[in-house]
Amino acid sequence: MKKLSIMLLATASLAASACSGGDAAGGGDDDTGSGSGSGSGSGSADEWDQLLGQREYDYNAALKTAALRLTGDLPTMDEINQVATATAESKATVYGTIVRGYLDRPTFARQMMVFWRDTFKMGGTAEMDAAPAFAAQLAVENRSYLELFTAAQNTCPTYDATAMTFTAAACPGTAPTAGVLTDPGAMKQFFGNFAFRRVRWVQETFDCLKFPVEVGPAQDVGGASPYLGVWPFTSISGLETGRVDFQDASAVVCANCHQTINHVAPLFANFDMNGAYQNQISVPTPLDGAPPAELTDYLPAGESLAWRFGKPVADLPSLGATMAADPRIAQCGVARMWNWALGKTDIVDTLQEVPFETIQSQVETFAANGHKLKDLIFAVYTSDDFVKF
Amino acid sequence: MNRMSFIVVAAAALAGCSTTPDESTGENTPPPGSTSGGEDTTFDHMNDGISPWELVDRLTKEGPPRYTSHVHSCSKVRYATLGNVLRSVGVNTDATDAVSAGALYRGGANAMGSPNYANRIRENIGITTSGASRMFDIFAAAAPEVIAAIPTLARCQVGGTPATLFNSSDQCEPSGIACLIGVPATADHLDLCNLTISGASTPDVGKRLAVAALLAAAYTCE
Repeated sequence: MKKLSIMLLATASLAASACSGGDAAGGGDDDTGSGSGSGSGSGSADEWDQLLGQREYDYNAALKTAALRLTGDLPTMDEINQVATATAESKATVYGTIVRGYLDRPTFARQMMVFWRDTFKMGGTAEMDAAPAFAAQLAVENRSYLELFTAAQNTCPTYDATAMTFTAAACPGTAPTAGVLTDPGAMKQFFGNFAFRRVRWVQETFDCLKFPVEVGPAQDVGGASPYLGVWPFTSISGLETGRVDFQDASAVVCANCHQTINHVAPLFANFDMNGAYQNQISVPTPLDGAPPAELTDYLPAGESLAWRFGKPVADLPSLGATMAADPRIAQCGVARMWNWALGKTDIVDTLQEVPFETIQSQVETFAANGHKLKDLIFAVYTSDDFVKF
Repeated sequence: MNRMSFIVVAAAALAGCSTTPDESTGENTPPPGSTSGGEDTTFDHMNDGISPWELVDRLTKEGPPRYTSHVHSCSKVRYATLGNVLRSVGVNTDATDAVSAGALYRGGANAMGSPNYANRIRENIGITTSGASRMFDIFAAAAPEVIAAIPTLARCQVGGTPATLFNSSDQCEPSGIACLIGVPATADHLDLCNLTISGASTPDVGKRLAVAALLAAAYTCE
């Protein structure tokens, strides 16, 4: 991505210079988030640093926001007064104690259900609530975030909205189990041709990026624009091996995205339109008559399934394990929690990016602490950025 | 260089070449609409993303991610949370009177951006004109209920002493305001509240206006 960005930046800069004779709007940003946006009319680095430096601690404002997000309700007068009357030295401790209490209330389970329903874009019925409930249960029980991809049992708990409790349960059906990656409700919700919608859901929800996600040097493949992938161009099917030309480059270069998508999608293709796992591929194609997809439609014979180039997987549990081992996945989880706490809209749909530098300490602590979700949420809600306004 | 930065740069570059807005994102992602199917193709999938012009506008107004990611945004109060807040300040959200706060709340889910999971749409936490308008209508309708309920709310009692919104001189009281807005009342809160009452046609009207205004100010952002 970085190489591409540099190349495209240079191209864009040249274009701007050629046309206007003026300076290209240059950002100094990189993948670690430094120096963003200086060319967008958004000001110099100093200006933004100064604004950040002008913020002041306001534990009562933080308490109100924390209460609304973590309990779904207002703080009590007693809590408000505890923070308001604490000495300057003890405010952080008093605030932290109350926030810890919020995380231990039953209402936290309800709020986690809301968060995960929104994150997963599904919920409202027992079937569609299973994946959000599993994720919420992980948070309430302070379990590892990575169980979303690796848990081998009880990944379809039920949620009692009145008691705000979870009851462990296995998912129905015969699918191998890999956290929410094999959730029947999710498979039903994101059913579509070739299982591509399921792949997109996994990608955007857990890696916080839209396709294309694997970008390499430009390669001329005879199309109107170059191929920018890292997989060999012929590692996905064209019309020689399949019925859909994923090697088409006459307009857009399909392979830029499908190099990755086609190596993942067959893993999700055995779930039918109801999310039930079958022994054969059970998703349609967009061809006339919507015939079922075949493995050769995705990949030429001998090509392996993979999460990313160089990260082969054999089945859904190994996909989950490979995703869990990818540091970007945990970083995405932290970024989503961070954006939730700070009131941001979706990190993918609205490009509310969180530069790595912003959450670096959170990510490192999260990893060192076994990716425990409730501890992450506590850390975010007691971070300097959360309590400063 | 991240994806957002490139979109901005590309948009700027394109702007330098033409005065005609180009909806291309300028990145590796194909431009919106380009992956729609045709007679000779077998695929048709939406790839629309955020417009680079909207993104440039947002960055200009709000600042770059390395700044905005450190600060709170003004997201709306989630629909379900708003219901909890209303109940917490004494509103009956089950009320059936058509112009009651409860009925306005229950009928305002769509206007206030509640989720539509069946269509894979999460709750919209952005502030919209329709959502804010409905919320302010709810607060205006709720004011009489809130004024009556504040002294009875267990959440707002301290040591068994109930919160008080107004004293016998029709002046606003800090305990009641803090109960309403969830943070300690400041001198500015009190001044605004008292000014609203004194400027109204009658004290009762002023009290209702003051409560609605305080609620609107406190819950425009979560």
